[in-house]
Amino acid sequence: MPIRPVCAAAIAAFMTFGVPSGSAARVQQHPTPPDVDAVLARLDDLYRSKSSIARMEVIVTSPRSTRTMRLKAWTRGEDEALIVIEAPPREEGTATLRVGANLWNFLPRIARTIRVPPSMMLGSWMGTDFTNDDLVKESSMHKDFASRIDRRSDAPQGWWLRLDVRPGIVGRWARIDILLDEAELPVEEHHFDRKGRLARVITFDEIKTLGGRRLPSHMTLTPVDTPGQRTEMRYLEAQFNVALPDDTFSLSRLERGK
Amino acid sequence: MTMRLRLPTTWRIAWRNLWRNPRRTALALAAIGLSVTLVLLYDGILRWEADYLIDTITGPMLGHVQAHAPEWRHTRAMDKTMGRVSQAVEAVRRDPDVAGVDVRVYAPALAALGEEGFAVVVVGVDMAEATRPSRLLQGLKVPLGGRRVLMGRLLAEQMGATQGAEIAIVGQGIDGSLANDFFTVAALVDTSVDLVNRQAIVMPLADARELFAMGDEAHELVIYARDPARAQSLATRLGGSPELAGVEVLDWKTAAPGMNDLVELVAVMWVFILLLVFVAAAAGVANTALMSTFERTHEFGMLLALGTAPSRIVAMILVESLALGVTGALLGTALGGALVAWAHHVGVDYAKLTGVGPSSVSAWGVTFTMIIRPRLAAIDIVRVVLAVMATAILASAWPALRAARLQPARALRE
Repeated sequence: MPIRPVCAAAIAAFMTFGVPSGSAARVQQHPTPPDVDAVLARLDDLYRSKSSIARMEVIVTSPRSTRTMRLKAWTRGEDEALIVIEAPPREEGTATLRVGANLWNFLPRIARTIRVPPSMMLGSWMGTDFTNDDLVKESSMHKDFASRIDRRSDAPQGWWLRLDVRPGIVGRWARIDILLDEAELPVEEHHFDRKGRLARVITFDEIKTLGGRRLPSHMTLTPVDTPGQRTEMRYLEAQFNVALPDDTFSLSRLERGK
Repeated sequence: MTMRLRLPTTWRIAWRNLWRNPRRTALALAAIGLSVTLVLLYDGILRWEADYLIDTITGPMLGHVQAHAPEWRHTRAMDKTMGRVSQAVEAVRRDPDVAGVDVRVYAPALAALGEEGFAVVVVGVDMAEATRPSRLLQGLKVPLGGRRVLMGRLLAEQMGATQGAEIAIVGQGIDGSLANDFFTVAALVDTSVDLVNRQAIVMPLADARELFAMGDEAHELVIYARDPARAQSLATRLGGSPELAGVEVLDWKTAAPGMNDLVELVAVMWVFILLLVFVAAAAGVANTALMSTFERTHEFGMLLALGTAPSRIVAMILVESLALGVTGALLGTALGGALVAWAHHVGVDYAKLTGVGPSSVSAWGVTFTMIIRPRLAAIDIVRVVLAVMATAILASAWPALRAARLQPARALRE
C-alpha cells in the first residue's frame, strides 16, 4: 500500500503537500475510525503524478542566530524536485535538484554542481534542520512502514496514525506518529529514532487556501535533542497541477537557476 | 679494630676462592650477567614504550590537555565553538607547564573534484604548532595559505585527486550560511591518524575560519604539556583560569579513556613480562650461589676442623656470593647498557626482528610504527644491581648457615 506519511518530514513532502481538496467535504462522522488505507491512499493519490510550483520562506532558528531564506520549488510526482534559493543575496541562485534517490547542489559562487554522496545524506540541507535524506526519502516511505489508525485524539479532535518500520528495513526512524484533524489534515508528526526515542516533532498550522486547496501553510520542525533549535517553513504562494516543461528536473536547468 | 682488618681479609679470601674454580665462576658470572642484560633490555623497552605510546597517542591529535565548548565533544556541531580564542591561547601559553598550543577547527563538508561529492572533515590547524616534531604534520615543509590545503592520502585516492588538483569545498558556515570555495591540493599527507588520512582536508586556521565565517573562535584548543605526567593538574589549573571560564578542559586520559586503557594495558603486560624475567634472573643467581656452596662442603669441613670460627665461614660465603653477584651484575650492566644504547641508536624494527607482521600497526585509529628505541634511566640499573645483591645474599644465607653448623668430621668425609 503506497502511503506517504504526511509531512513525511520532508521538505519535498511539504512542497508536494497537496492535501485532499475534497476532504473537508468528506469528513466522516467520527468516532468511526477512518479506514487507514483509504486515508493514506487518498493522500497519496493526491500527491502522485501531480506537479507544483511554490514559493516559500524558511526560517532557521538556533541559539546563535535566526536566518531566513526564500525558496522557489518545483515538484513533479514523488521523485522529482528542484529548489532554488532566491534570498538572501549571499545564497541567491543556490539550487538543489532531486531525481529519485539522487541529490545535486548547484553553487553559483563557484559555478559548480556537486552530487551529495550517500554518506552525507544525514547532513543538514542548506543549514536547516532538514537533512538531505528528508528530501529524497519520500518515495520509499510507503515501502518501509506498516501503517494503522492508532487511537482517537480529543484535542484537537481527530486520529493518530501510526507507522512502524517494517522488519529488516534500515533507516533513521523506527516509528512515525501522525495526528490528523477531523478534516484529515495533518496537525502534528512525531518521529522516533531506532532506539524508540522521540527525535523530532513537526507541527502544522496556519491553514489557508493556496492554489485552490486548503492546507496547513506553516510547519515547524523541532529537533528534540537540541534546545533552542528549530526550522519553520511557510508557503507564500503555490500552484498545483501545473504543466512543467520536461527539462525542469535536469542538471542543465539546475545550473540555470530560476 | 679486628673487624676493620678482618673484612678486607674476608673479601680477599672470598675473591681468591671464587677463582679457585674459574670455570664454575665464569659460568655463574655468565648466568648472572645474561640475566641482568635481559632485565635491562626489557627495562629499556618498557621505558621507551610508555613514552612512545603516549607520544604517538597524544602528539598528533589529542594533546595532553584539550579545551572546547561544553557540548562540542558530544554533538560535534559546527556552531558549538569557544569564543575569544586569542585571549584563551595567550593565557594558556603563559602557564610554565605548557609546551605548545594548537588551535583547531573541525567542519564537516563536501569536497568535489568533479561532480561527485565526498564527505570530508575540514581541519583547521595552527601550522606553526602542527608541524613541530611528533605533531600531526611533523616536518611538513610545504607552504600553505592562499587556499592551498593538504589532503589525507586515502581520501585523495578515493576522490581521484592528486597533488595540484583543484577541489571545491562546500559546507555550512557557523552562521548557517553556505560556505563554498575552491582550493588547491598542495600535498597529500600520511599521518599517524586514520581519520585525517581517510577524511581530512587540513588547512591553516585562518583559511578555515574564513571559509566557515568564523571569528575569533575555534572548536578545540590542543595543549601540550612539558611533562605529560602532569596533564591532569595542568587541566585542572587551566580550567580554573578566567580566560577559559565556561570551557570544558580535559586531560587526555579523561578525553580519550580508551587510549589511556590501551597505554595501561600495554604497561601491565610489559611489567608482567619484566617480573617473569626478573624472577628467572633471580633463580639463576640463587642457583649459582647454592651450587657453589654445596659443592664445597668438604672444604668447609676442613676449615672448621682447622679451627675457623663458624661466623667467619658464614661471612666468607656471603661475601663470596655478593662478590659474584656484583661482578655478574656489572658485567650484565655493561653488556645490557651497550645493547640498549646500540638499539636506541639504530632502532630495532620489530617486524624484521620477528620475521612477521607489518612494521606499523593501526589500532584505535592511530598508527603505531614498531621501531623500538629502548632507553634506560639510572634507576633501572641501580634497581637491578640491588636486586642481584639481595638475591645473592638471600640465596647464600641458607647454605652459609648450613656450612657453619657442619660437623667437621662428617663434612670431611663427604
